[in-house]
Amino acid sequence: MPVLEASGVRKQFGGVVALAGAQFALEAGEVHALIGSNGCGKSTLCKIIAGSVAADAGRLALDGRAVSFAGPREAAAAGIRVFYQDLSLIPQMSVAENIFLGREPRRRNGLVDRRALRTAATAALAEFREVLGAGIDADARVADLSADQTQIVEILKVLAAAPRIIIYDEATAALDRNQVDAVFARIRALKAEGRSIIFITHRMDEVFEIADRVTVMRNGMTVMTSATRQTTRDALVTAMVGEAHASRTTKARHAPSDETALEVENLASDKLLGVTFALRRGEILGLGGLHGQGQSDLLRALFGALPIRAGTVRIGQQPLVLKGPRAVMRRAVAYISGDRARHGVMAIRPIFENLVVSLLARERRVVVARRRLEAIILPIIERLKLKFASLDATVSELSGGNQQKVVIARWLATSPMVLLLDDPTKGIDIQTKQDLYATMDELCGHGVSILFHSSDDEELLAVADRVLVFNGGRIVAQLSGEQRTRFALYRAAYATGDSDAGA
Amino acid sequence: MGRFVALLKRPLTVAIAAILVLLAGGELLSPGFASPRQIVTLLTIAALLGVVAAGQNLVILGGREGIDLSVGGIVSFAAFLAGNIMRQSDANILQALAVVFGATFMIGTVTGLGVTLLRIPPLVMTLGMLGVVQGGLVLLTRGVPSGRAAPLLSRVVSDPVLFGLPGIVFIWIGVGIALTLVLRRTAFGFNVYAIGANEGAATLAGVPARRTRMLLFALSGFFSGLTGVLLLGYTEYVFVGAGDQYMLPSIIAVVIGGTSLAGGNGGYSGTMAGAIVLILLQSILTTLNIPPFGRQIIFGVTLLALMLLYGRQRRLRG
Amino acid sequence: MPALEKRPTRWSPQRRPFLMAVVVFLVLCAVNALLQPTFLRFGVAVSNVSAFLPMALVAVGQTYVVLASDIDLSAGAIVSLVNVAVVSIVDGMGGSAASIALGLATGVALGFLCGAFNGFCVAVLRFQPIVTTFATGIIFSGFALWILPEAGKQVPAAVYKAYAGAVVAVPTILWMLAAVIAFAAFLARTAFYQALRATGGNIQAAYQTGIPVARVRIGAYVISGAFASLAGLALVGETASGDPLIGGALTLSSVTAVVLGGTALSGCVGGVAGSILGAFILGMINNVIFFAQLPFEWQGLIQGVIILMALAGGVAMARGKAS
Repeated sequence: MPVLEASGVRKQFGGVVALAGAQFALEAGEVHALIGSNGCGKSTLCKIIAGSVAADAGRLALDGRAVSFAGPREAAAAGIRVFYQDLSLIPQMSVAENIFLGREPRRRNGLVDRRALRTAATAALAEFREVLGAGIDADARVADLSADQTQIVEILKVLAAAPRIIIYDEATAALDRNQVDAVFARIRALKAEGRSIIFITHRMDEVFEIADRVTVMRNGMTVMTSATRQTTRDALVTAMVGEAHASRTTKARHAPSDETALEVENLASDKLLGVTFALRRGEILGLGGLHGQGQSDLLRALFGALPIRAGTVRIGQQPLVLKGPRAVMRRAVAYISGDRARHGVMAIRPIFENLVVSLLARERRVVVARRRLEAIILPIIERLKLKFASLDATVSELSGGNQQKVVIARWLATSPMVLLLDDPTKGIDIQTKQDLYATMDELCGHGVSILFHSSDDEELLAVADRVLVFNGGRIVAQLSGEQRTRFALYRAAYATGDSDAGA
Repeated sequence: MGRFVALLKRPLTVAIAAILVLLAGGELLSPGFASPRQIVTLLTIAALLGVVAAGQNLVILGGREGIDLSVGGIVSFAAFLAGNIMRQSDANILQALAVVFGATFMIGTVTGLGVTLLRIPPLVMTLGMLGVVQGGLVLLTRGVPSGRAAPLLSRVVSDPVLFGLPGIVFIWIGVGIALTLVLRRTAFGFNVYAIGANEGAATLAGVPARRTRMLLFALSGFFSGLTGVLLLGYTEYVFVGAGDQYMLPSIIAVVIGGTSLAGGNGGYSGTMAGAIVLILLQSILTTLNIPPFGRQIIFGVTLLALMLLYGRQRRLRG
Repeated sequence: MPALEKRPTRWSPQRRPFLMAVVVFLVLCAVNALLQPTFLRFGVAVSNVSAFLPMALVAVGQTYVVLASDIDLSAGAIVSLVNVAVVSIVDGMGGSAASIALGLATGVALGFLCGAFNGFCVAVLRFQPIVTTFATGIIFSGFALWILPEAGKQVPAAVYKAYAGAVVAVPTILWMLAAVIAFAAFLARTAFYQALRATGGNIQAAYQTGIPVARVRIGAYVISGAFASLAGLALVGETASGDPLIGGALTLSSVTAVVLGGTALSGCVGGVAGSILGAFILGMINNVIFFAQLPFEWQGLIQGVIILMALAGGVAMARGKAS
């Protein structure tokens, strides 16, 4: 008998069907991967299991007994805890306070035992000490942590409740390889204790590495469940996409020229220590390495969104003054972040407004001429295959992948010559990724140059013409041609001293 | 059908329905309440509130807990300034307008600077600014009302211009059309909604967030200034705390009109309806000869009832 | 490399506004002492505390609501309502000991009730806090006007003598202040307080974590209502009579005191100690202006400018490190 069983689960948000009768069964002591493209309903299904979303219809059973949770509190009481993709941490509170939120150690008089709280949190952190990096302890504010550290704190928070069913919704999205290994080690230990785990990921490798079984969802329905050992990567992708095999690697058609498009010399900031490189016209230059080694900081600094201390940047022959996004974008530079909610979309506003806002800023016009703007926008969103009901619908009604397309289209409308892509495929389904690769290739063919940071190493190596490997705010290696291998990338990324750099 | 229901749920529809219900109710309870003359008076009072609320509306749309508690103080200040420059002479009107609009725009700009550069929460910044403006007004007036409206101003504001409606109503309609056009058809308007919805994303999309937000507070100062001038024209001379009555009602009018206090969603047409609802409500309670305590209680309860209709926040559970 | 064990982040940027409040308070004390030589005398100090206590009480209650990222604009109206209700009960029953006891009990109960109603509207009905508490504030002051249309009525001398007197050689006022601080210190060590801060920091995350956010927010409003009722009682002791408008000005100044004391309006960060300090700062500013013998017309402006500068300074310091 499964520990947890969901059947016939339906859920509609406004007019959008998120779940159309999903089935799911979780056995005791198994790691069960749940995969599918964005908007397929897997996150919604998990939130229903966790009580934070109410299902419209369907049956949920724990140990064979039907249950119905009024909220996350009841689900937690039943031993279910979720690693939320958007995290459930309180930024202003300390790591210790967050890990034990709602279950603080008490003294005999019922008051919170602050010392025990810190001790317990320090012990919890110790397990990941090797991979956590600097600047984190029980008293650190979550707001001051890096993205990967924050994710690990969320993982620890989930574990602190000692749940018997754990749902990891993209728990590894911001983690590097070492950190993923540490998390997987813990998951295996949990499994050995007989706990059951649902594991959502967009990284196929991880499915085969950690999961016993895998369930694929598409369009709000469960389309296949199989033992991981009895299936293949291609079979899963086919099930997800719903059509014939979609190849992951793209055949690049573009060819970079020798002309320099963007030149960066000795750029220094809080997180960057003298970065120098040149981006060629029509080139995709990858930025890789472990997380938070300065890749994002470089892109944001180049866009004028982070202050710099020193260094010069030139576009063509002209110096680029990094005064702010508006000054930079006037030089035909665009920045697209993978953090759509924070740095991408204005979710409650209509798609149209989201699409034209940069163009309006670029053109510095006063009056909005809708018809003229539509003439510019429509061909672009058609090319990007944006799926939408109406330009006046709000962006929040779109899936994550389509939201990202809106951000991309917004910038393509400004006809940029240099694109700064900051992990743009984070949390995006395979189909959208493929569309994005194709677009990038096409743009490069037209002479656009792209700086491409990705946390997905495989994608980075496949898409970029060259890869700059970052470590501690410096470029420690440059990989091009045949050197673009995982081995070379990891060797450079994990090198400690400057002298040991690969390449 | 779904569309029809959606239309019914729109704040503007609700506000207009509330206006009709209140008018009908007022007429039932006290015949003559909905007479043309009475309606003209109501519209005049609503116009005063509505113009203050225009600035409040802009600031709230811009998000980041945008709110302007200084509007009332600025209205009083503007009325005082205008009255003392005009001193019953039509010749001084242009000068008075220039000084008042310049001064109130500047006060708003200072507020905006505090909010954007120093990043002081608007509630606190405008509260502090209110204290300064009120203190300054006491210093200038020594607590004694002074100054009088120019006759031309009084005529423009109060005398019927067209269809028996006084000039102030047309000024209000003009403000309404202008503001709606600005919000829906200009880059500035798009920027306001963008920073209200997600300032971080808007900045990265090239929106001049700081400048836009500063301008919102400056415009709120300007609209309060305009209200001060209109108030002076309406009452001819103004006592020191005359504008205080607009502080919280201007926020309520915006909220009743369906603009979210979280920013990024809403518009001015709803606010105009909201202002009329508020004035109607107050007026009914006054005409019914209900003692002040009863008026207050009914007013408060009605506000809560309106909140129940559509002023509710998102559920935590999806 | 083992991370160095840090002490708790006592001096983190978050605490800077509070430190700023301490500095402003000390400076005001110094200035006040210069202008008013008797300032440091025990009796004068007690009478100052007594004058500032009502606002401090309202500010303390307001702090909990603000920590949950809500706001209570009805606090002043609750003060008025409790004030007139207590005075009317005591007066109506002839001022007997029983009537005083009943009056006090009714006053506190009213505070709880008003707070619970606010909490219900905001947390259960999901109304926007600013507009809701503004509306309930109108209702509460309507009831206050109903009970006592204009200032008047008297309470027996025993009441204000007890309030201005001493218990075991320590003035009653100081006992009250000590009790408030003890209560706040106790509350700050409860799981409820953590839940309150979490709700203010990120309500969605708190909900997903299983925090009963609605209950927590109601709790905060009830505490605010209770403290407002205490302020109403303190004003009975202070003025010995009732006034339906007495609390009106306390609402916004309590918010000012809370912010001056370093509690963020966005919730989660801050604390009660700062709010008490903030209330004292506001009172001291009035004192200083009074004893500086400034012309009356200047007082409002100077007060406004000092408050604005103090607010701006505190907030600017908190953001100092943020990029």
